[in-house]
Amino acid sequence: MKTLYLDYSKCIGCGTCEAVCRFVYQVPRIIMTRTSYGLHVPLYCQHCENPKCVKVCKEKAIFKDDLGIVRLNEEVCRGCKTKNCILACPYVAIICTGRDNPVAKCDMCVSRAGLGPACAAMCPCDALIIGDSRELQKNQSPAAREAHERVRKYIICPECPSPGSW
Amino acid sequence: MDFTFLCQTPPPKNGRKVAIIGAGPSGLAATGYLACMGYQVEVYDKLPKAGGLMVFGIPGHRIPGSNIEEAVKKLESDYGVDFKLCTKICGSEPMHQEAGDEYAYNYKSLGGRVQDNDAVLICTGTWKSRRLNIPGTDLTGVYSGLEFLFPVRAAQYDIARVNVPEIKGKKVAVIGAGFTAVDVIHSSMAEGAREVYHIYRRTRNEAPCGTLEIDLLEKSGAKCMELVSPVRIFGRERVEGIELARCRLTEPDESGRCSPLVCDGELFRLDVDLVVTAIGEIATPPFAHDLGLEHVRKGQVRWLHMTSMDSVFVAGDALTGPSRIGNAVYSGLKAAKSLDQWLSLKSQNRLDEYKDEIILKEDLR
Repeated sequence: MKTLYLDYSKCIGCGTCEAVCRFVYQVPRIIMTRTSYGLHVPLYCQHCENPKCVKVCKEKAIFKDDLGIVRLNEEVCRGCKTKNCILACPYVAIICTGRDNPVAKCDMCVSRAGLGPACAAMCPCDALIIGDSRELQKNQSPAAREAHERVRKYIICPECPSPGSW
Repeated sequence: MDFTFLCQTPPPKNGRKVAIIGAGPSGLAATGYLACMGYQVEVYDKLPKAGGLMVFGIPGHRIPGSNIEEAVKKLESDYGVDFKLCTKICGSEPMHQEAGDEYAYNYKSLGGRVQDNDAVLICTGTWKSRRLNIPGTDLTGVYSGLEFLFPVRAAQYDIARVNVPEIKGKKVAVIGAGFTAVDVIHSSMAEGAREVYHIYRRTRNEAPCGTLEIDLLEKSGAKCMELVSPVRIFGRERVEGIELARCRLTEPDESGRCSPLVCDGELFRLDVDLVVTAIGEIATPPFAHDLGLEHVRKGQVRWLHMTSMDSVFVAGDALTGPSRIGNAVYSGLKAAKSLDQWLSLKSQNRLDEYKDEIILKEDLR
């Protein structure tokens, strides 16, 4: 399955991904953060195998498409007050926009007609890559795995896959 | 890295020409946008390679130089972007000296660029460093973060033109705790410094680069000194030592504002050969006065990102002050979009209709 993979050991926190996403979609769907320890952690959709956001959405506005991309159907989303999708996501990847479309999330730029994710194209460090999730995780470098493990400590989700389990 | 992320293949040319001054992240992002819109773009830079501080400031282990090189090559060969390197653009004002000037052997005027092109975009960034306000900063052996990092990296390209600081076997004191300081310390150690002292007036918990980076510095052998502030730099002609004062963080005040710093502790001296002050950069837009940049910053503009000179736009750190690559890229893209809209509407004589709308709708940064 295709995914947007981030090598945390290469990320320098420059924020280019967020900037490009903001330019394309006005509200960025990938948000650069940094832990007080100094880890750079861009928050974005991991396109999980068993997405919690899909489970909690009563309107079925969030769905997983044939390519494995978790997408939001804005026509169906009625902007419910509870916004369970935001609460459910362990990666803080559903973004409250404060605009007409109440939430937004990464759809790997499917709307850009074959151009692919803009953030990955512009990443100066080659930290963000598009590829098959299993392949990428199999080929994870030791440095990437170590960095991922450090980041993983901040993600509160016992059943989400951890770097060692692939 | 691919600056032409907005199109798959080069579009047909639209017959318009744009000059971009500065090939850093904002300039190249704008170049990519305009190339995708069919513009004929020419890019000027004083340095012998495009990429700006992504290549000449930030060390290669953070951003591999080959990434930028390939992206630039694609702009050049596939999109016909004309890179004019080693070329500095001058205005009517006297120029100030800044790092990297020694590379420029062509000088061209801004007026000429304006005449030859439909529009000009200035993305010259921040090349002037903030200085410590203490005695002794004019001694030989005192560098700013950029003055120190730039020649070390630039030497790889053209050794004859730059003065690389002699680092091997020397004792280096680095002041500041941002990423520039971290990079200076790593470079010093890589170049064989005998001892590297990291001097920061607060503790690692307050360090802008985060505690992780400081831990890594210590692990690689740097001596990290917290809660010390430089008082003076000693030496007759060259740096011989630095006097430091112990500092303490005081309790947050009633409003909860973070600990103010008091440096009234004991004074002590450290023998060093080099002092690098990595305490931040200042924007250095050339021709700031000609362009009325103060007004652009305040948002008193006729068109988003346009300066007081017609058809001259500005973006990136030159406009906003030092920031991250991401912000420079965003600013460059937005300025390019604004420039494209302006030229399109101008060619239809419909500028007046949209003037207020565009400025009101978008934030200026």
